[in-house]
Amino acid sequence: MDRHALHQPSSSSSSIPATANTVWTDASPLLEVACKDLRDGELIHVDNFNLYAAMSALEIMDPKMDSGIVNRYCSVDEAIEDGVAPVPISTDKTTDVQCMIDIMDHLLTCEATWHKGHSLAQTVFSCAYLLRPERTSSHALLHSYCKVIRATCKAVITVVSDARTHEEEDLFTMAYGLPLSGDGDEKCLSLLNAVEENISRQLRACKAPSSKRKPLEDIEPLQTNFDLEEGYCKALLCRLRFRKHFFHVLTCMRRPQGRGLELARKHIASCISELGVILKSAEFLMSNAHGTCEDATEDRTTASGHQAIGFDASLNSRISAPTPPRSIKILSWKKAIEYFEKLLHDLDIICSYPLDPSLEVLLRFVAQFQKAQPDLVARAHLQLLLVQDGKLYGKCPMFSLIIRAARLPEVFLHHDIQKNEYVVQLGQLVINMLKILCTNAAWQRRKLGKILQDWRVIYVQIELAFRKDFGEGSSISNGDNASARILKHILIWVDEQTYWISHRFLILGFELELYSPSEYCMVYWYLYVVLIRLAEKTHLKMTVSDGSAKQKGKKRKDSPKELARDAKIPPAISFLQCQICLAEGLTVLLAALRNELMVLQSPSPFNSEHERFIQHFELLQKACIPDNISYPSFKESTSYARFSTLAMYNYFKDAQKIAKEARSGFSNDPDRLAELRVLEQVAEHNSIALNVICGVGALDPSLKVSFEFIHHPCFATVVVKRS
Amino acid sequence: MEQVQEKQRTEEFDASEIEYVIYGGEHHLPLIMNLVDQELSEPYSIFTYRYFVYLWPQLSFMAFHKGKCVGTVVCKMGDHRDSKFRGYIAMLVVIKPYRGRGIATELVTRSIQVMMESGCEEVTLEAEVTNKGALALYGRLGFIRAKRLFRYYLNGVDAFRLKLLFPQPEELHPFLPMMADRDDTQNHDDHSPREEFLLKSILFSEVVCKFSSLV
Repeated sequence: MDRHALHQPSSSSSSIPATANTVWTDASPLLEVACKDLRDGELIHVDNFNLYAAMSALEIMDPKMDSGIVNRYCSVDEAIEDGVAPVPISTDKTTDVQCMIDIMDHLLTCEATWHKGHSLAQTVFSCAYLLRPERTSSHALLHSYCKVIRATCKAVITVVSDARTHEEEDLFTMAYGLPLSGDGDEKCLSLLNAVEENISRQLRACKAPSSKRKPLEDIEPLQTNFDLEEGYCKALLCRLRFRKHFFHVLTCMRRPQGRGLELARKHIASCISELGVILKSAEFLMSNAHGTCEDATEDRTTASGHQAIGFDASLNSRISAPTPPRSIKILSWKKAIEYFEKLLHDLDIICSYPLDPSLEVLLRFVAQFQKAQPDLVARAHLQLLLVQDGKLYGKCPMFSLIIRAARLPEVFLHHDIQKNEYVVQLGQLVINMLKILCTNAAWQRRKLGKILQDWRVIYVQIELAFRKDFGEGSSISNGDNASARILKHILIWVDEQTYWISHRFLILGFELELYSPSEYCMVYWYLYVVLIRLAEKTHLKMTVSDGSAKQKGKKRKDSPKELARDAKIPPAISFLQCQICLAEGLTVLLAALRNELMVLQSPSPFNSEHERFIQHFELLQKACIPDNISYPSFKESTSYARFSTLAMYNYFKDAQKIAKEARSGFSNDPDRLAELRVLEQVAEHNSIALNVICGVGALDPSLKVSFEFIHHPCFATVVVKRS
Repeated sequence: MEQVQEKQRTEEFDASEIEYVIYGGEHHLPLIMNLVDQELSEPYSIFTYRYFVYLWPQLSFMAFHKGKCVGTVVCKMGDHRDSKFRGYIAMLVVIKPYRGRGIATELVTRSIQVMMESGCEEVTLEAEVTNKGALALYGRLGFIRAKRLFRYYLNGVDAFRLKLLFPQPEELHPFLPMMADRDDTQNHDDHSPREEFLLKSILFSEVVCKFSSLV
């Protein structure tokens, strides 16, 4: 049944006519008879009436559920007829300009609210002016602004739906029945430029000294109050320019192979500076607001504090089926500006990324980018930049990315093995992983957990293919033809990458607050185990590739200098070692607290720690990450932990020392240097805390030990207090 | 679905004065609906309530104090996608003056007990990440936070999917199942309330026909 039909006065006006084989009849008497047969609580239903169906049922005329319920207006046209959105907004030119600025501001807050997860219909398109594009054509300023808003929304929707990373944010792209493409919206910029040019001339005219004003007199001022002319011209100009540059940002960033990134950065800088001017205009706009200021608080959605004309969130309640009819809260004007500043900053980070061909660098970049919790629009842009047409940045084939990641020389970039079905599949896995890394942290963690299996399986498949092609006898270590060498390196890298994913899976759990303090011990223990393997695999990859390079280069192997370099631990490994010590230290400390003070244990009536272990690490265990690790191994390695052992061997001191030494290796990597400093801080702090605990006497009942993430998001800082 | 919010001011009463009653029929339905409608924000149709209490009356409990219904729990159980037999706690409510006295724990413990005896392997539910009271309550019962669900509720707040695994018979060796579907990022995993609303509109015409029989 059509939802609109409910509100039509009678069924005779139905738009579906009777045909030769069908006829309309009134079913009410039949239903009434049927109802008499039913007792309270009985339901006529089909077999597949499940929870889903029950939850999806609507109670008609319940304002919480029935979005078809008549609100103030039955239709947009009715609202417009009632004068909701007059054109011009006011016959008084000054008021018209003031109202125009309010509309611009409110639209900005609506746009930010949309980006933050509410429906387009209830936010941006609650503006009646946008809904009827033809009505605004007599008002150049309003018309051009509406056009650029619609075009911008369309561009943003395209980015997000092309990226397809928005599973849990799917409300974003829903735009049923909304006029997203008005006639000529694609040329929005030329109209916007013309309007901007006109206002610039008006501004010049009013600023010119009165002696020089004569030749410019043919220019009609923006509005009638000369004293306010400059202020209003400026307030409009920054708003128009922001829209222009923002639209440019979106189009530049979509150019293939990242060709528009440099230009996009210039427009981003302009956007940010216009936002600053917009913010500053608030003082002028508030002091000259038309009529009374209804809402001058922090919650206001316009700079002037005046409510914008032409908006009604209920206008679309019927054409936006999935939107629940309940009212939503639009962000404040200040919050909206903050949102856009953050968005532009995030986009700028993407644009300044040098499109490095190394996967290692790329993964670090994405992880770093995600730390700032970018919103959907920025994440969608990043994903589209990373993966275009199945290639990295739209230009590097996945095979070449894999070759580099496996530290193979570039001569193999075009080797035939790239056609091997498992190598092709591996490329697909890499694409999949990159896309997942661009999603929100909650979704990302779940997906990373699931793809671990795929990475395990591809490892086994490549290994089998290797044995088949090169004979059972040929151990992986002595493949001497090119294919064998490539596969050998790829295998080592796949193994390492699998541990990298596992590591990310575990640490995202901290960010998402999935672990409770009573579970920290097993989480740090698992993290410790995974970190050790990751360090091993990384080291193996480095050694093997260095070994091959040396053999190839036939260098003198015995030079003492080289031996010294070999003996030195690579910075990447030290970085991991520092974390290993921290994880181990925290595991042992937590275990000692449990064993000696009987704290941080959580007995439960229905299950034990064993079940919680299985649940937390189910996906890792299923993928055998690592092999032969289970709850008994955790118990075995932690049940004897005592403070006396910790006092003798302070893991945090080691971590601190390694962090200090590793610094020099990252002199040109500010992000990792910064993280290293934080790790060092945690290590130093925890080392002192440990001394306090052991010194004061661990069994002192007044001692309260807690774990807080004040320095690092996943390595807890131990806080000791006396109660 | 939704879970009880944390306590406010308390009512003076003795724990022994609280009487726990299993769902006993249609006369209990208005009591449950009133409590849930009062305390939780999501709108549930009568179909939702009846779906639960008619199919699993043994899992729904109410708490009475001097004849007044002050708390309720509504649950279900059944086969989950991967054929696990699973219990689900749909709604848990205790009215404000009675919170913080273990009534919610007692209600939910009774349901979980029945689920365990009925052969469930695990129990799940969703709770708002900001609902510290519910999270602590379920934490004490052995639930872990298995997943975070991004903007799960219509008010934009994230949820945790909480899970309680019952002790299993001896664990089998971990194995490597076949590779998951290629286009993995496109699989919908947990249905969100938004999908429910999507579905609401799709099912609208069907439901209208059923509606008249229930008013």
